[in-house]
Amino acid sequence: MRTKQEYLIRYKDGNLYCELADIWIDPSKPVKKALITHAHFDHFTFGCEEYISTRETGILLKERVGDNIKIKTFEYGEEFKINGINISFHPSGHILGSSQIRFIFAEEKWLISGDFKLQKDQTCKQYEIVKTDYLISECTFGLPIFKWDETNKIANDISKWITDSPQKTSLLFCYSLGKAQRLLNEISQTNFKGNIYSHGSIHKMNKSYRELGIDIKDTIKIENKKKIDELKGSLILLPPSLSKGSYLKNFKNIQTAFASGWMSIRALRKRSGYDKGFAISDHADWNGILEVVKKSEAKNVFFHHGDSEALSKYLVEKESINVLLLGK
Amino acid sequence: MSLKKFSELFGDLDSINSTNNKIEVLNNYFSSNDPIDNSWAIYLLTGKNNKRFISGRYLKNLFSKIYEYPQWLIDTCYLKVGDSAEVITLLLKNKTNSRKKKLSDISLNELLSETIPALSKLNEEEKNLEIKNLWEKLPEDNHLIFNKILIGTFRVGVSIGLITKSISKLINIEEEIISHRLMGDFKPSIDSYEFLISKNINLQELNSKPFPFLLANTIEDKIFKNSINDFQFEWKYDGIRMQLIKRLGNVSLWTRGQELVNESFPELVEKMSHIKDDFVLDGELLVWNFKEQIAFDFSLLQKRINRKSPTRSIQIKYPIIFIAYDLLEINGRDIREIKLEKRRIELEKYFSKWQIKTENNISDIFKICDLIFPKDWPDALIYKEKSRENNTEGLIIKKKTSIYSSGRKKGIWWKYKVDPMQLDAVLIYAKGGSGRRAGLYTDYSFALWKDKELIKFASAYSGLTNIEIKELDKWIRKNTIEKFGPVRSLKPEMVFEISFEKIQISKRHKSGIAVRFPRITKWRKDKKINDADSLENAYKLMKKKS
Repeated sequence: MRTKQEYLIRYKDGNLYCELADIWIDPSKPVKKALITHAHFDHFTFGCEEYISTRETGILLKERVGDNIKIKTFEYGEEFKINGINISFHPSGHILGSSQIRFIFAEEKWLISGDFKLQKDQTCKQYEIVKTDYLISECTFGLPIFKWDETNKIANDISKWITDSPQKTSLLFCYSLGKAQRLLNEISQTNFKGNIYSHGSIHKMNKSYRELGIDIKDTIKIENKKKIDELKGSLILLPPSLSKGSYLKNFKNIQTAFASGWMSIRALRKRSGYDKGFAISDHADWNGILEVVKKSEAKNVFFHHGDSEALSKYLVEKESINVLLLGK
Repeated sequence: MSLKKFSELFGDLDSINSTNNKIEVLNNYFSSNDPIDNSWAIYLLTGKNNKRFISGRYLKNLFSKIYEYPQWLIDTCYLKVGDSAEVITLLLKNKTNSRKKKLSDISLNELLSETIPALSKLNEEEKNLEIKNLWEKLPEDNHLIFNKILIGTFRVGVSIGLITKSISKLINIEEEIISHRLMGDFKPSIDSYEFLISKNINLQELNSKPFPFLLANTIEDKIFKNSINDFQFEWKYDGIRMQLIKRLGNVSLWTRGQELVNESFPELVEKMSHIKDDFVLDGELLVWNFKEQIAFDFSLLQKRINRKSPTRSIQIKYPIIFIAYDLLEINGRDIREIKLEKRRIELEKYFSKWQIKTENNISDIFKICDLIFPKDWPDALIYKEKSRENNTEGLIIKKKTSIYSSGRKKGIWWKYKVDPMQLDAVLIYAKGGSGRRAGLYTDYSFALWKDKELIKFASAYSGLTNIEIKELDKWIRKNTIEKFGPVRSLKPEMVFEISFEKIQISKRHKSGIAVRFPRITKWRKDKKINDADSLENAYKLMKKKS
């Protein structure tokens, strides 16, 4: 067996790194060359000399970081070479533009799953099964207590939650990129036909999605001085960062909810301080992770982003899959 | 009228924070379901159903066996969820066939009075099969309630007070009356529910009503400008504040939380019923050390309050006393409007009369509070500092000219609490919390220096804010030295100020000391571990006390 240093991709200073190409994946500090799986803030950092991503992620990145970054983009499935390594992006189903990244070098295949989900989502490309020898997978929800409901069931629950309290303003907190657009898309297919408002940060992302050809409902940008009567019975999408503090004082007679996979656990729901929790996630659940590990046909698997111990032990015991550590 | 409806009610109550909304939801439920299911719902919601048909461990083992799930994986999940019934509910998801859901409309009554009790008559194998069967037949949405009832852990954020408010609003009758009706042996039946919502109030119900309690405020500096002679001084006991009422021969014992607790303290009720006069007394219930004439720890009182109909041996093991502070009504005459100093005279007068005239000796269960007479304010401070010696929390200071109004009225009564003892200690172990704190490291152990070694001296889990808990949890995960099951040993680096009420010798602990009510009062980020206190300092605190 090889030592960690001899793997094509390994952990260095807390980030995934491919030494042979001198390239980092989703680095948390500025580097020369960064491959970016998707445009969430915890997957890229400002100040890298060069970014490489899918075309959609590139546009979203510019929207978030500014136009003056140096960025090279590729279509899904399009191969490019760095120092003799073949690299390509493949849909990961997490958010618009999100990707898995495959490396092929000397007939050895490596796959970084990025953040991914298998559930259907009309606002981004469906997860693509990619065969590999080595798989580096996220495992945010790597316990069997996490099993997602069908998305339309959650959307109907949300719709019922709003329409059951017509006197209230319903504030739904969700990540402004990806989750918000997915929810908008799903909610517009339910019985709820009232007004939908969104916070500036979400409104901006909605616009980018539409420019990239994703058909989502137009929302009204929320203004602080909206009359209370106007908001009664309507839905307002807000980023979670606004749930604490004085922002909520802008509204009267509200009910709050948080849309996140963590909300499937009662203790977390109670602790979160929201009135209600909707368990909907853009990450894979337990079965999703197992399915990807299996279908990728990987002989060796590494996990990150989550508590990987139980998942690793389960795969070793039940599926006889080799689970390795990449170092820190 | 079904388990399904009740599951929905549970979900609604669980996701509502406002008391008014909870009452609204409860009222909707009560008015749309039949009396028998309502009575079961009340029985469950007020926590009267504490029968355990199987243990949480049994439930987890059973699931592991049926679905061939490794036990360790279930245990890992438990650490995240913190509730056996919920873990199994989450794991059961999508495992049962939705076409077999034959029991989707089972009534609460049938489930609780027939289906579940029937389990007790089966042998283990039959029982296991039947539980599996029920999992198959019950809709997934109802699994949580079913599992919770099975393992006797049905609890929801609804107090008996909230049920009382809800019924009170439903039929427009005062809460105290409903409280009285809900007390005691509430057995689920059509009759018990009909009685609960009856609009006819009988005399006995009316007569048991307590007065609103008057509460003390935290001491204010301006009080020291007044003459010491304007005030009455009492010890602040650490027991349960109560009103002891006898009207028309019936005794009732009410806590400040509007709970009628006659059944927990039958010996007091019995003794007081021998007194000839009628009265309303304001006072404190304590477990009493008759030999030394001081209160025992509050923890002993807890052994009494949670036990309905205590046996004779429990009554002897934890002997109670009611210490009266105040007389509010005597023989039907409400005297709350007279000045405290006069009420005190009345109280003393009647107490001595009762002592002489009552057939049974009452002084082994009832007395009036002793007053303290400090010469001046510095002297009062000395009394306050001494309060630990007689197991009290400090002083209560009452204005002699005050009337007995209600609530936390300013400028009448003050509490002057003794300061806690404090030591700076080093965090050395952390353990995962359960329930609401599941998935976070929230149970901490702290150590003091002995030469160059850190010796564990106390465990605490309260005192940090939610933000601090999250921050510390993150730190704990990054600074773990070793894991032993749910416990992690940690790099000694973090110093906390630990406050506690009492310190005593203990042979059971390696440190040789035990502290009472340890809690975190400050995260001393400004301190290095070498600045933490030593065991020797702890011993010094102990000496200073005695």
